[in-house]
Amino acid sequence: MPVSALVGMEALSFRYAGSTTYALSDVTLSVERGEVVLVAGRPGSGTSTLLLVAGAYAPRLVGGAIEGGLSISASRPSIVFATPWTQLTGLCRTVFAEVAFGPASHALPRERIRALVGLQLERLGVAHLSTRDPATLSGGELQRVIVAAALALEPDLLLLDDPAAELDPAAADALYGLLKETAAEGVGVLVATPDVERGARVASRAIVLEAGRVIHDGEPAGALA
Amino acid sequence: MSAAQVSAGLDLRWDAVSHDYGAANVLSDVTLAIGAGESVALLGHNGAGKTTLTRMLMGLVRPKAGTVSVGDWLVAKRRPDQMAQRVGYAFQHADQQLFARTVLADVSFGPQRLGRPVHRAIEVLAELGLDGFTGRHPYDLPAPVRKLVTLAGVFAMEPAVLVLDEPTAGFDRGLRALVIAALHRRISGGVTVIAVSHDLKLVDAVSKRSVTLEQGRVVADSIR
Repeated sequence: MPVSALVGMEALSFRYAGSTTYALSDVTLSVERGEVVLVAGRPGSGTSTLLLVAGAYAPRLVGGAIEGGLSISASRPSIVFATPWTQLTGLCRTVFAEVAFGPASHALPRERIRALVGLQLERLGVAHLSTRDPATLSGGELQRVIVAAALALEPDLLLLDDPAAELDPAAADALYGLLKETAAEGVGVLVATPDVERGARVASRAIVLEAGRVIHDGEPAGALA
Repeated sequence: MSAAQVSAGLDLRWDAVSHDYGAANVLSDVTLAIGAGESVALLGHNGAGKTTLTRMLMGLVRPKAGTVSVGDWLVAKRRPDQMAQRVGYAFQHADQQLFARTVLADVSFGPQRLGRPVHRAIEVLAELGLDGFTGRHPYDLPAPVRKLVTLAGVFAMEPAVLVLDEPTAGFDRGLRALVIAALHRRISGGVTVIAVSHDLKLVDAVSKRSVTLEQGRVVADSIR
């Protein structure tokens, strides 16, 4: 795997605790800074699991066991789940505080936090919601707020599981454009989605999974078949 | 098709409905009528008020002004569990309505509570291609499949009105086709259907009428 890779997997397999089948089997791939990698596959093919392993969330947080090689040099991974409502802290009364929660946990200076949060709310088109209670947001608004929160952590590896599932088409296009911009700033972006047409428009590479195995790793067009 | 046991649809009506979440005004003086057996797509940008409007049908959101009715029932005079006898509501976020330890137990809960036979739940699971998952814990399934389970639970209750909030979000073509086929069966059986969706392929396939909300107001109401 390339020396510069943020994540490298070498013949990696992963099994959830209590499961007799592998969610990922014999996966070899790498993710580098500056690329948007589209991850495609039917539900249950392992796309979400791949993100969890790439960010070291599995097995650390969800249990299970890895076999094979995994090296993660990314120091600040950030993830947006397919269930973004599960990522609300439950502690914040405003959208601004919600997005500030992550950077504040890293003890950044107050002014730096304000700037980071303001920038990401603006980029996601949700600055007008900054004083709203997160519990009153629509699904699409919440999804964008959670992406803003992930970006406010200034990740070097950004992992997103179907981040535009609840967005209207214009907002979805804007979000995918933002992923390309983010990659251009030197971040490695791994995005899993069934919306392969939209994903392929911004991806530099596509990985297609079937039953936990990589069946394509190359041109984004390969995900459209 | 035995799974598509349906109740005859009911008409729906919002009269001069307004609502806000504190300082944020989400619906402003909305008046809208949907006939029994109609299939309507509710469109609009994120935050336009679509989900708030449909939640009023269940009494999950009570309007600050105006009235909402389902058939001859004024929603303000009913509890949400009573409204569930008429309205089947699939939430935008599946995890808000999955609670049982197996897929079958979850999908059977509604019909059992309404005194309907369990085999209807099994038929709906087969209809949505979920018959191989009946003994699985819903939370062990991928997010799109969990969503499909919630749809099965709502279909199994055979409601007169189906309200589906982003029913195909996160679905690939295969899962979307299953949902479209299931909805066609219910629409042809006379069920009233409202689909809140950004999925234009779904909307084209199941809805002849589209109502568009913008900043809490109806800005378009068209029939194809």
